[in-house]
Amino acid sequence: MNALAIEAEGLVKQYRGRAGTVDAVRGVDLSVTAGEVFGFLGPNGAGKSTTVRMLTTLLTITAGTARVAGIDVTADPDAVRRRIGVALQEAGLDPRQTGRELIELQARLFGSTAAEAAARAEELLELVELTEAADRRIKGYSGGMKRRLDLASALVHRPEVLFLDEPTTGLDPASRLGVWDEVRRINQRGTTVFLTTQYLEEADQLCHRLAIIDDGRIVRSGTPASLKAELRSRLGLTSDPTLDEVFLDATGRTRERVAGDVQEVTA
Amino acid sequence: MSALVQTELLGRRAIRESLRTPEALAPTLFIPVFFLVVNFGQAGRIFPSDSTPFLYGQTYAAFQLPSSLLLAASFGSAALYLVEDIEGGYFDKLRAAPVSRAALVLGRLIAEGAKTALLTVALVVIALPFGVTIASGPAGLVLLVVLTSLWGMVFAGFMQLIALKTRSAAATNSGGLVFFPLLFLTPNFVPRELLTRPMEIAATFNPVTYVMEALRSLILQDLQWDVLARGFGVVAAFGALMVYLNLRLVRRYD
Repeated sequence: MNALAIEAEGLVKQYRGRAGTVDAVRGVDLSVTAGEVFGFLGPNGAGKSTTVRMLTTLLTITAGTARVAGIDVTADPDAVRRRIGVALQEAGLDPRQTGRELIELQARLFGSTAAEAAARAEELLELVELTEAADRRIKGYSGGMKRRLDLASALVHRPEVLFLDEPTTGLDPASRLGVWDEVRRINQRGTTVFLTTQYLEEADQLCHRLAIIDDGRIVRSGTPASLKAELRSRLGLTSDPTLDEVFLDATGRTRERVAGDVQEVTA
Repeated sequence: MSALVQTELLGRRAIRESLRTPEALAPTLFIPVFFLVVNFGQAGRIFPSDSTPFLYGQTYAAFQLPSSLLLAASFGSAALYLVEDIEGGYFDKLRAAPVSRAALVLGRLIAEGAKTALLTVALVVIALPFGVTIASGPAGLVLLVVLTSLWGMVFAGFMQLIALKTRSAAATNSGGLVFFPLLFLTPNFVPRELLTRPMEIAATFNPVTYVMEALRSLILQDLQWDVLARGFGVVAAFGALMVYLNLRLVRRYD
């Protein structure tokens, strides 16, 4: 049996403001096996990014526990940071640096020597097909190039777990397919990928298993095939539904929704 | 990797950032030079060097130079670049890496110090045709550069606090204006003992006064260790406070 790359139990995030307390995540349980591509789906504001930010040490956890690569996120965040790669919703890049400088700096910050960082940058820029643009400033890159560079910068230290928060949002179809290819290639090399997306086709194409979050709670989880089969059986459909239909059913965004359909489950 | 190496790497990156935005550096040099020229032009004849004891034989431009140095040191753009990093997501990228939180704070501050050192030398060179000399000699010039740079780091630290707290370029920019009342509540036109009583009291409570007096002593006189101790003491105390508060904010950043 494979080890767990990500485990979360009762993960809660509350924000306290002048208007009172807002529950962004209301008790999420997750188990992601090492080596899989795990999809995390949900409508806008469902708690996807908040969950990712807690798992990647960027947000404090209000309640519950999370372990990434076997390490407690709250107890030893630096050890977690050494084992994860992160590409967030906003491609976190410095527009005044060149692509090569950005990757080399990232590699140096993870402990590489200057020579190692230069070699790794060359390798990664080739992997994401940015060798030609490597010495140009990032502010001149297209959206797709920025996404690919962000992905490359998340890989400098060969992370065990890669978190991708909506990596294809805002990309044209060709760039999106390019990112999908990268994700597959990265996963084939043994990296666990935790991917949040609003694109159900993306999840269907890339993910071994997925969970759907709505209003801060996980409302469905399983393989894409099992989720479709469950809906087909429950609604007595004559053919397999699409993942879109599974999503709409799970998040209550369908007119055919039956009261009591949405329930909390453990992923 | 040690925090020291990470600080150096992030500092180099911040310097590269400044060098690639020369248009942001221009006002940092132009406005202090403008104040030096205008103040000297307006009051130079009121305070002739041969009959004004507090000028120690130099022109009034020498008396004004510390104001311009402090102004240049307080125009740092480190905090605004930090807001850009926050808004663009690069700050989160760095926070998600095993980078020492101290390096995140100090990298930019050290770069700001280096930038201020260059600006100080440039301003001293620009002031030479106005009859300014550094009376305390080469050692005094080094101390002048160091003290101004340290003040630049202190003020950049204050601006970074606003940036980290508000995450807003507009708020950070406005925060920088705080320096103007601080500058004008110093003995920037005449020595403290010649100020009116209320202004003298305000200047005495204003920490910038002691940095200004230390810088001025280096330009006008031989090394005055007691004045220098007060100037460096203020910078050390406020520097430590700024680093502590910045670290606290970065560690609690959510």
